[in-house]
Amino acid sequence: MDGVRVGNRIIGADSPVTVGWENIPKVEGGPFKRAFFTWFQPTMLLALVAFWYYAPNDIAKASTAIWIGIGVKLFMMALEVMSPRHTSWNITWKELVTDLFYVGISYTLVRLAGKYFGDDAMIELIRNAFDWSTFAWFVALPLLLQAFLISFIFDFGQYWMHRGMHNWHPLWLTHAPHHYITQLNVHKGAVGNPVELFLIGLGIGGFFDFLPRAALLAGSLGLAVGIYQHINVRFNSPSWWRFLFNTTEHHSVHHSQDYEGSRSNYSGTWIIIDRMFGTCVDGEAELLGMEGGRRMSVGETMVYPFTEGWRSFKERFGRREPVAVPAE
Amino acid sequence: MTPRFIDWIWHIRGNVALAPGQSSEEAFERLSPLFQEINTSHERTDDTLTFRKKKQAPQDKMSIFDWGILAIEPGVDGSTLRYHLTSRALLACFLAPFLFLAIGAATVGIGTLEKPPTAEAKKEAEAAEKKLAAVPMNPIDKFLGAPEPEKPDEKKKKEEAEKAKAANGKDKKKEEEEKKGPSPTPAYVFAGIFATLYVGGRILEDWLIKRLFRKRLAGA
Ligand SMILES: [Zn+2]
Ligand SMILES: [Zn+2]
Repeated sequence: MDGVRVGNRIIGADSPVTVGWENIPKVEGGPFKRAFFTWFQPTMLLALVAFWYYAPNDIAKASTAIWIGIGVKLFMMALEVMSPRHTSWNITWKELVTDLFYVGISYTLVRLAGKYFGDDAMIELIRNAFDWSTFAWFVALPLLLQAFLISFIFDFGQYWMHRGMHNWHPLWLTHAPHHYITQLNVHKGAVGNPVELFLIGLGIGGFFDFLPRAALLAGSLGLAVGIYQHINVRFNSPSWWRFLFNTTEHHSVHHSQDYEGSRSNYSGTWIIIDRMFGTCVDGEAELLGMEGGRRMSVGETMVYPFTEGWRSFKERFGRREPVAVPAE
Repeated sequence: MTPRFIDWIWHIRGNVALAPGQSSEEAFERLSPLFQEINTSHERTDDTLTFRKKKQAPQDKMSIFDWGILAIEPGVDGSTLRYHLTSRALLACFLAPFLFLAIGAATVGIGTLEKPPTAEAKKEAEAAEKKLAAVPMNPIDKFLGAPEPEKPDEKKKKEEAEKAKAANGKDKKKEEEEKKGPSPTPAYVFAGIFATLYVGGRILEDWLIKRLFRKRLAGA
């Protein structure tokens, strides 16, 4: 394969990646269908922002956000069935069960562990060691600016954590299982080793208890953009959307079997962060995964960082067998 | 051997009638693409086929099955394909609700060990909250009509009112939650989801595999 030059890298040399928006297929169909798949994403974003901006205090609560999240995911599952992007990514019973298993584990076990010695415990420590009233200037900013800053700064941190995972072996071991997914579906974001979830920091929302409305607004940005990272639906996203935000296309390149392709598009929400640091590839891929698309079982996913870590450790520091020198 | 009365949990058995005059050779020929998939091995004799699959790709039409035997039996009114397949995915899904019930029970158990926050920590947090709440809302937000944030005093009053309600026994749940820490409800919800998925999957996959064999045998 030849691949395509993007910046100073060759993308798509190991596995097919389509580069450039002009080469990406569009949603086919009648005018209503095309309009729907063009305007759906901006409309949902605007609706969510307006909702959280104006919702009365009794409604603007984390529990409401959880219910909205569940509702949006159910709707996206229906869209996947009605209008799949690639038939090779179609959801099956087995895929749904495995995906939901990871969702279930992160909602229960990971959350429980996080409460006692993970993010929550850490957040509590930091919060107690800090005088939050110094943040008064931030609270005086317009709400939408507060929300944007929370979302952008948080995503900036995620960008570097994610990029670090792809460049430093010990971190990579926790993230690698997520890259064994071979297709994108609504719940695929949850697939991976639970240790990764600690590093990515699911409980980060706890930091912003003192800014409930701004945090909820920032969260809705994450939902209205982040949800499209893993989904089997094709949208004709407007070009400004693709310029600013991460999309299914971007994230499919990140999951591609192509090595250089997978080292692109690290951000969660704001793809402009990738543009800033030269890691953005505008394109898409259908063939996803590692090792030629080998499916990793649930069991292997749970132990991979430890077994693989132990193996690399032994390789590096273990006793080396004397190399046999062939007699001449 | 596992007794039959429980092995239906992860074993699927069934049969499909062959078209009149279809030989076992022809039938297996038509089914053979299913066993050419990646990570699939199979052995064939004249009238039986045994296969094994591991690390199945999601695109494999038989991805839920790990092992199986297909036999063609002659009968008075034509031959029949009888199959017996096993699925670890079905077994795992059957067991998943028990795992989540256990997680729920553990959540309750851990919750009873939790100590409420110290009065001092609570006071400090409240003081910081009060200072932040004193910051006036940005004029832009006032102009656009966003609701004013709740003042900590109001919040406290509301909380106290709720507590009084709880004392009346009306809203005891909330008080208990505060005392005991994390709620086990999500774990129980997931137990329910997996129980439903199991029942749905056991019926769906049974039907899908029969349809797949029938279609293949008919030459589609
Ligand atoms: Zn990655
Ligand atoms: Zn991903």
